[in-house]
Amino acid sequence: MLGIIQDNWLLLLVGQYPKGPLGGLALTLILSVMGLVLSFPISIGIALCRTSPIRMLYVGSTVLVYIVRGIPLVMFVFWGYFLVPILVGHSVTAFTTLICTLIVYEAAYLSEVVRAGIQALPKGQVEASRALGLGYWKTNLWVIMPQALYNMVPSLISQFVSIIKETSIGYVISVQELTFAANQINSNLLTRPFPVFLILAITYFAVCFVLTQCAQHLERTITRKRSPKMAHPRSMSNDSVLEGQ
Amino acid sequence: MIRFSKVSKWYGDYQALTDVTAEVKAGEVVVICGPSGSGKSTLIRTVNRLEEIKSGAIYVNGQDIHAPGLKINDFRSGIGFVFQSFNLFPHLSVTENVCLAPVRVSGRSKGEARDHAMALLERVGLAHKANAYPAQLSGGQQQRVAIARALAMNPPVMLFDEPTSALDPEMVGEVLSVMKSLARDGMTMVCVTHEMGFAREVSDRIWFMDRGVILEENSPNEFFTAPQHARSKAFLSDLRSH
Repeated sequence: MLGIIQDNWLLLLVGQYPKGPLGGLALTLILSVMGLVLSFPISIGIALCRTSPIRMLYVGSTVLVYIVRGIPLVMFVFWGYFLVPILVGHSVTAFTTLICTLIVYEAAYLSEVVRAGIQALPKGQVEASRALGLGYWKTNLWVIMPQALYNMVPSLISQFVSIIKETSIGYVISVQELTFAANQINSNLLTRPFPVFLILAITYFAVCFVLTQCAQHLERTITRKRSPKMAHPRSMSNDSVLEGQ
Repeated sequence: MIRFSKVSKWYGDYQALTDVTAEVKAGEVVVICGPSGSGKSTLIRTVNRLEEIKSGAIYVNGQDIHAPGLKINDFRSGIGFVFQSFNLFPHLSVTENVCLAPVRVSGRSKGEARDHAMALLERVGLAHKANAYPAQLSGGQQQRVAIARALAMNPPVMLFDEPTSALDPEMVGEVLSVMKSLARDGMTMVCVTHEMGFAREVSDRIWFMDRGVILEENSPNEFFTAPQHARSKAFLSDLRSH
């Protein structure tokens, strides 16, 4: 197994690069980061529609989310593969297809994370903000989103872990990411599928495990910060109202 | 300053307010009291349109607050509102809580807003907590910050929705004393409260509500010594029996 790693580590890490296109783990991470970063703003939009009192926005976004969540990712990859070229009028790379698919798919899933983050806040937060004269958008920008996004960081990292694993589906349309690289190695060696795919599994696991640990650590930190500290012994000093009593 | 004219409101089949007609004059302190579920909070929340009404009209400074074209956010920023559960913004410091509306609604500079915030915090006795976060404050301190925040836009009228009901008993006094000082300074105030001592000492008028109707409007002296309505008599004797 070590021999396989020694001979192929570069292929697993960066694919054919620099002689060919970038691939391997590097491409997997690039796909994942792009998928997360590009789908996130869209997911905020969907979440706002899902919490909107305007019926049309609510129904539309809810239908979208339920459809996406009820269909396997690989279906979307196939659709993207055939649909995106028709929509844009020329053929696109497998990489573009996969990114487009991931954005649609993750936006729907992330929107549920964002929606949960918004709805977990006490209703009084919105009321207090509106009562001060902040409108819908200002309330979201200055009061709701800063709290909701901060609280949802651990969930975002969990979703990122999911995306990393989901990029392996790119293999079916020949995006040269980590799984594709491992399969190439397997084709070269022919007789040693078990160690090759074990190395693949360990690689995915190592990356995802580190991220999950980060998420847990952050979650603990956030919980600690958000829970009210022990009530301080009431100090009368400097407090003119208390001193006056 | 605030005039209710035949205001009615339903929650589904339940009528929360029935033809409420009443007026709060400038500089007056009105205390609304009555049993739970009588519509006190609902009534006070209709004034800045946190609750919409089904029929009737409400005028603030002569302005119909349901008139089409009313700039709701400008209107709301001119009314101070204090909630039972404080509702401070936990991600912002005390000063930032107080500065939020002046900076984001009126577009005042941060420095100017901060100076004004410090003066207000001084007034509620919490200047030394300017950089603390809400979670680091006691309930009474949080409510005093909430009052400073509501004062930040210099509203001519302040509404209090059971401001001491969520507090431990020993913290009620500090919030009431801030409210008393506001009343002494001539602020127009409408307070929903169960603090009858406060009502007696500070208010100019008492409205007694039950089942969505104002049953009695009276001066505090008359109300506590010679209540007119049978329901107010029963309410007061229930209070005294504790």
